[in-house]
Amino acid sequence: MSSEVKIQAEPRSEFGKGAARRIRRDAKVPAVLYGHGTDPVHITLPGHELMLALKTGANALLSIELDGKSQLALPKQVQRDPIKGFIEHADLIIVSRGEKVTVDVPIMLMGDPVPDALVTSDHTSVPLEAEATHIPESIELNIEGLEIGTQVLAKDLVLPSGSTLSLDPEALIVNITAVQSQESLDAELAEAEADLGIEHDEPESVDEETAEAQDDETATEASTEE
Amino acid sequence: MLIPRRVKHRKQHHPKRTGAAKGGTKLAFGDFGIQAVEAHYVTNRQIESARIAMTRHIKRGGKVWINIYPDRPLTKKPAETRMGSGKGSPEWWIANVKPGRVMFELSGVPEPIAREALRRAMHKLPMKCRFVSRESGDF
Repeated sequence: MSSEVKIQAEPRSEFGKGAARRIRRDAKVPAVLYGHGTDPVHITLPGHELMLALKTGANALLSIELDGKSQLALPKQVQRDPIKGFIEHADLIIVSRGEKVTVDVPIMLMGDPVPDALVTSDHTSVPLEAEATHIPESIELNIEGLEIGTQVLAKDLVLPSGSTLSLDPEALIVNITAVQSQESLDAELAEAEADLGIEHDEPESVDEETAEAQDDETATEASTEE
Repeated sequence: MLIPRRVKHRKQHHPKRTGAAKGGTKLAFGDFGIQAVEAHYVTNRQIESARIAMTRHIKRGGKVWINIYPDRPLTKKPAETRMGSGKGSPEWWIANVKPGRVMFELSGVPEPIAREALRRAMHKLPMKCRFVSRESGDF
């Protein structure tokens, strides 16, 4: 269950890339707060505190303190730098206590299926409708001992109390398939390597080495006798 | 090897190598992946070589996804040829990879095996890369 993270925000009056870059240089993040039919409010958030808040989960409930007022908000979209990973911008949506919101909740797979089984996740997260103040951190799915050919559908998920699924109940979540046989894998890789022109050095067999050593010994014996 | 079945133009200009990846910067299918840190052209031979390297290491256990496709032809003039007489003939097929792009993904194996398999694959690629995983947070 998520707890509120208090973040002190400042109103933002400058817009555009120049102003946004100035804000980022001061280790802050430009953000926008909207929802419930209100006009969007442009704000600036402290970068480190926002990063720590979002590290606890993508659905961290934030309490934004702005001009002496406090507003609950959920991150709707977070833009990150693709290489360094720092937060470039955040879209926050206003929520109220007790309000139902739809958020993506990650699925955690627990346990291992039978040997020689390959687990393929079609959905790593599912949209859930839950109270804004009681959003589950994750949904646990036990795959211990599942047989090859088993399909776990959305309707099979055990949801936390107070939350409902906002996804087609027949949607595939996890598929347990058989792993590729060693022969077919070797054949496929050999064909791919031949296509690329890769050649493996054949290691000399032990029998050949010993035979060569024996030949050498007999040759030296013959030469000494002469 | 990956190669387009049909192209609109046989000989194209060199694609731009500036900027960062606009999409495909997060893991979409697997639990682990290789992310490009630099921009580079990646040929279809390098892609296939990296795939073979990681598949050989994980053996039968996992599943591999390739998120880049070599859809751009590069041409080359024959050796000891005078300049002029038109553009050379298509020689390579390349994917134009920008920094931030997740090129390969892997799932179905424990992290130490995935890390080693992807490390071997990174040695087949022309640019600096890094290992990324879903558990690390940003993905």
